[in-house]
Amino acid sequence: MSAIITTAEPRAGRPKVTYRTAGDRAVLVEYGHTIPVDLSVNFFAHASAQHLADHPVRGVLEVAPGLRSLLVYYDPAVIGQDRVVVALEELHDDIPEPASIVLPSRRLTLPIAFDDSASREAVNRYRISTRPDAPNVVDGNNIDYLVRYNGLPNREAFAERILRTEWWNAFTGFYPGLPSLLPLDPRSEIIAPKYNPARGWTPEGAVALGGPCLVIHPIESVGSYQLFGRTLPISNLVRQPRSHRIDPILIHPGDRITFVEVTEGELIELRRQVFEGRYDYAIEPGRYAVADHLKLGSDPEVAAEAQRRRATRGAAQELVKVP
Amino acid sequence: MSARSAGQAVPALEIIDPGLQTTVQDYPGRRGRQALGFFPSGPVDPLGLQVANVLVGNRPGAAALEIPLGRFQAVILRAGLIAITGPDAGVTLNGEPVPLWEAVSVAEGDVLSCAVIRGAGYRRYLAVSGGIAVDEAFGSRSTLLVAGIGGHDGRALERADVLDAYPAGGARQRRRMPVSLRPHYTDSWEIEVLRGPHADPDFLTAQDFEDFLGACWRCDLNSDRTGVRFNPHRFQWARTSGDVAGGHPSNLLDTSYPYGGILAYGDVLTILGPDSNTSGGFAVIATVAHAALSKVGQLRPGRDVVRFREINLHQAAAMQSHLDQLLDPRHFETV
Repeated sequence: MSAIITTAEPRAGRPKVTYRTAGDRAVLVEYGHTIPVDLSVNFFAHASAQHLADHPVRGVLEVAPGLRSLLVYYDPAVIGQDRVVVALEELHDDIPEPASIVLPSRRLTLPIAFDDSASREAVNRYRISTRPDAPNVVDGNNIDYLVRYNGLPNREAFAERILRTEWWNAFTGFYPGLPSLLPLDPRSEIIAPKYNPARGWTPEGAVALGGPCLVIHPIESVGSYQLFGRTLPISNLVRQPRSHRIDPILIHPGDRITFVEVTEGELIELRRQVFEGRYDYAIEPGRYAVADHLKLGSDPEVAAEAQRRRATRGAAQELVKVP
Repeated sequence: MSARSAGQAVPALEIIDPGLQTTVQDYPGRRGRQALGFFPSGPVDPLGLQVANVLVGNRPGAAALEIPLGRFQAVILRAGLIAITGPDAGVTLNGEPVPLWEAVSVAEGDVLSCAVIRGAGYRRYLAVSGGIAVDEAFGSRSTLLVAGIGGHDGRALERADVLDAYPAGGARQRRRMPVSLRPHYTDSWEIEVLRGPHADPDFLTAQDFEDFLGACWRCDLNSDRTGVRFNPHRFQWARTSGDVAGGHPSNLLDTSYPYGGILAYGDVLTILGPDSNTSGGFAVIATVAHAALSKVGQLRPGRDVVRFREINLHQAAAMQSHLDQLLDPRHFETV
């Protein structure tokens, strides 16, 4: 039995769809092509998940998005794999053209302290306990490596890329509440190789980059992305009285994050306010029109600058050691 | 509202020796929340937990204890029924051997002792009549250790913990699972899998997948509720690199993983367990059939070996219906 159930060629605004067997209770639906990372394809995955939530299919139990995929769980006693695929094919036909897709999307603003001492502590522990000669550890941090790997002139240019864009939560996963964010402005694209081997400890609230994604660590945990800063707690799993206790998972799939730079001293004070239940997270309800993204990306100046930055990164990567 | 006030739960067990990593689990666990980053948790051996519950008259999915390696000791604080499933031998009540796979009457002050499992199998399940009473977290009573949620304070049990149970409700029939229906444990397993989602021809070569099915895989000592890891194996792979996702051909753009998926983490295969991370950027080359997941829960780290056998959806459905039969209380004997 082949792992690929069937494929559907792209048509009328629909990306290519590959349906794969993921056991006897799930189908993995992949959109578009393996490369490049394409936000439009992620928007399509979100639109499909939303459409399925609005028009439930009997026997389909839950869906979980990825960067370019949806994992669809079903109850085989109610619906067969073949019927799941048929239902999804019909669903995909109902998704509008990308320029017409509008998704539920809140805007959240989070403070970030770059090169904070908790991240440096994690990097230092890694250097001592795991890999003394890791090329991604420069002067006790990962930021200088990120700067070099992306062909940036200095740390300020790096911070600018983080601060000058909204970050789109392409999916939540790995740990409970962990968002994987992509920049909505193509000029902010940053790529980072992962740790090798993985890091044993990462502080809660750490902000890190790996592959094309920016992540925020909801809990203390292992990790393999390059650390560069810290923000507020983004989960409240044990339901202590905090200001976002209404929703223990702060960042949902499809939310947009804007980072505002603060000093580490300021961040520590804000974190204290969160723990004491005095902090109100900046959350604006709203929707996101994919047309806005397409418009920005098709602006010739933006596209040219994004391309130039990509080329600079490509050249820089040749000279930088991968962990 | 605490579990104790919710259902008039009362103290049922006081832990003397919690063993290796005993946790409270229920079934089917934390379903429906993978999009928020939750894998289901729940028992690694769902059959063991559900049968233990049915034996004492509980709902099959009620909260019970999962006891890896078998070692455990507790004082009974409330008269009622208990049942233990899993590898036999070495379980006593006040020093007298008690049978597994059947409900046992216990009285206040009784001491239950379970020795380390010496033979085949790895996890025992202990159900008490009424079910263990702990608060739900995100829709389940199951413990998720990495996030510190569910179960008893979000952690493995410790000495002197007191666990509550819900009222058992009326006189209950003691049940026994017929010997012929009990699972067979071994140190050399055959586990049924379905090919994919990322197998041949686009990720692995056809020869790679044949090698996967033909090889004998040894469970690494570093295996637990998050996953069962196997000895490294070098596949040829059908592609030369992982493109933008990373250097190794097992890398892909991050995707949500299916529970029971067999992940190729570079050259190391891992069966994703109930507490695994929910997503990542590696290929899942095959997925354990739902009805075969219980076997994964009985794999002993550092000792057992596994061969994977490919089945199709019809065979998976047949296995599932057989499993459903096993949980039908009408097939149980009364004691």
